[in-house]
Amino acid sequence: MSLSKKSKVAIAVILIIAITGVAVYKYSMQPPAKIESKKVDFTGTSNELLSKIQENAAEWQDKIVVISGNITSVEDKGITLSSSIYCQLRDSTLAKTLSSNNPISLKGRIIGYDDLLEELKLDQCIIQ
Amino acid sequence: MKKLLPLVFLFLSASIFAQKYYTKTGRTEFKASVEAFEPVGAINNSTSAIINIKTGDIASLLFVKAFNFRVALMQEHFNENYMESNKFPKATFRGKIEGFDLSKISASKEYTLKGTLTVRGVKKEIETIATFTKQGDKLLMKASFGVKPEDFDIKIPKIVSKKIAGTINISLDYEFIEKK
Repeated sequence: MSLSKKSKVAIAVILIIAITGVAVYKYSMQPPAKIESKKVDFTGTSNELLSKIQENAAEWQDKIVVISGNITSVEDKGITLSSSIYCQLRDSTLAKTLSSNNPISLKGRIIGYDDLLEELKLDQCIIQ
Repeated sequence: MKKLLPLVFLFLSASIFAQKYYTKTGRTEFKASVEAFEPVGAINNSTSAIINIKTGDIASLLFVKAFNFRVALMQEHFNENYMESNKFPKATFRGKIEGFDLSKISASKEYTLKGTLTVRGVKKEIETIATFTKQGDKLLMKASFGVKPEDFDIKIPKIVSKKIAGTINISLDYEFIEKK
């Protein structure tokens, strides 16, 4: 190698800067975490969740839950459990394969209590 | 008369329900991109909205946390620094579609949409044109309007202010179905 010690150091420094740059960029541009990998905050039936929500609704925002219950209605992009929990499916095409009066277990995220339609709303739901 | 009253109420509530169209999965998108910088924007696919067909009254509600960004970090900053979604989880709109008449909508028809948008507890009057289309059982509504961060007391730090547009464009795309 005919490179001087100085230029070797310079190349090493440039490489380190480039690598950290790429790593920082990749880290900061990460997409949001998928529901599958998120920690579950509550597991239980849809009725249990409803009674817990009534105690303190604000606390439940953005919580990840796994709930089981009876499907009371099926809509275009989601289903309703226990008449007042609307679960928007991440894969909306799945709604067509489901029907009322059947038990189901879902993992989803609580986005809040919708006082316009008077129901609890979940999104990103996946069938367990 | 006393016996009749419950019957009257039953009839009234039934007719009120029949006059409403609603959606639970409306698409609300905002764009605040500045050219040559990282695109800034997000989509909320869980917007609830109700139209009263008789009066043209419209109400909608969305949860700020349900805005999906492409980049997790941007979503975090949006929720924590700008929208403070723990303190103000909802954004709402209440207004009126002027001269709304469902029977006159077939291909596509434009109406003036006027009302109050509430974001972070701050109210702002909005007026825009909404396009309605009837498609089978569905009533489609599209509209867009612009707002400014300062309208809702959102402070954008100087360091990022160049990367966020001065006027944020909000577009709505809702598919209503009849409430039975």
